[in-house]
Amino acid sequence: MLKVVNGGIEILVEDWPGRLGYMGLGMAAAGAMDNLALQLGNLLVGNALTDAGLEIAGGYCEFEATDTGVLALTGADMSAALNGTPLPLWESVAVEKGDLLKFSHFGEKGFRAYLALRGGVDVPVYLGSRSTCLFGSYGGFEGRKLAAGDIVTAVKDSSAAGGGTSSVTGRKLNPKYIPKYSNIWELRAIPGPNSSPDYVTEEGMDYVFSSPMKISHNANRAAYRLEEVPDYFWARKDGGKGGSHPSNIVDHGYNMRGAINVTGNTPSVLIADGPTLGGFVCVANVINADLWKIGQGIPARDKAAFTLVTVEDAIEARKERNAMFEADDLFLS
Amino acid sequence: MAYTLKAHMPGLVARVVVEPGQNVEKDQELAVINCMKTEMRCLSGEAGRVDKILVAEWDEVDIGSDMIILEN
Repeated sequence: MLKVVNGGIEILVEDWPGRLGYMGLGMAAAGAMDNLALQLGNLLVGNALTDAGLEIAGGYCEFEATDTGVLALTGADMSAALNGTPLPLWESVAVEKGDLLKFSHFGEKGFRAYLALRGGVDVPVYLGSRSTCLFGSYGGFEGRKLAAGDIVTAVKDSSAAGGGTSSVTGRKLNPKYIPKYSNIWELRAIPGPNSSPDYVTEEGMDYVFSSPMKISHNANRAAYRLEEVPDYFWARKDGGKGGSHPSNIVDHGYNMRGAINVTGNTPSVLIADGPTLGGFVCVANVINADLWKIGQGIPARDKAAFTLVTVEDAIEARKERNAMFEADDLFLS
Repeated sequence: MAYTLKAHMPGLVARVVVEPGQNVEKDQELAVINCMKTEMRCLSGEAGRVDKILVAEWDEVDIGSDMIILEN
């Protein structure tokens, strides 16, 4: 349905919740970096929440429609235009064969845009998911990012595609449900498993929950690297049997997705394609309901601000998210 | 006339691969930016002669930052 004319920085096929159940074999879950934008896009075109879409990081890409269809653009505003006319975000739009869809680049807020196609992107399901694991080179579209000449089609026999295109065209997300974008992303997080008092000082954990940390230019789908923590962060003088630095521990499975993993004094939020185990502490974990915000953080510009919450808060936030997807007033038409 | 190569992504300058006075073609690589742990090529939008190099290795750039000026 869409032919890639210019692949831009990084276009990937991703779904949500990704490839679950294989971390024990060293396979990350992959999945959309901003699962909220992808899922809202899916609902706008009448898809299931779990259908695959296109994740566009940075921008600079261009597509040509090879067929009629319906799509919805969500996520970061990249000044996308359909045949030269600005394409609205958070709204389903019909496209005709030959239509040109061109993206500029990300703007003041947000780093990833999502294109949901009615029916869902049709790539082989591999181990239960259509998501691309970029660093494993598997899943998605031939295990890689899209390049000029690639043609992405929608699933023809999906339950969504059976209903025609007219019923969802023009469907708009109620503005009150459009996610709030920022340059300082508040990420609610639960402490542990390696926090105070055993591994990190009280003052160190206070630092995590009170100091917005700049996102490094080295932020990608495996990890969002952040600004260094101070030396008083550490409760131990070394890593004992794990190694010489207090960030070392004997290798263990990492809590994913959302672990705040600290290597040396450098924290990284482990996400989509991140490592499944290793020998560094995980001092806290971003809650599921806030994982989407990490994917919208602009490398070398935005900051992450962690807020301490409880497991109960995390469960409540996840329930609220699920309720939002079911809300009667989710769409305006 | 002058053409200014601007950073197309935020990140660190990995290297500048041209020198002042050098003639370059349109679409020729002038510099490389490190972002998302990937080296991203900065291609010239126009042909010309390198007039000024405004960035050096390890400099942090934001999207739209001026990097290299060509005379053409």
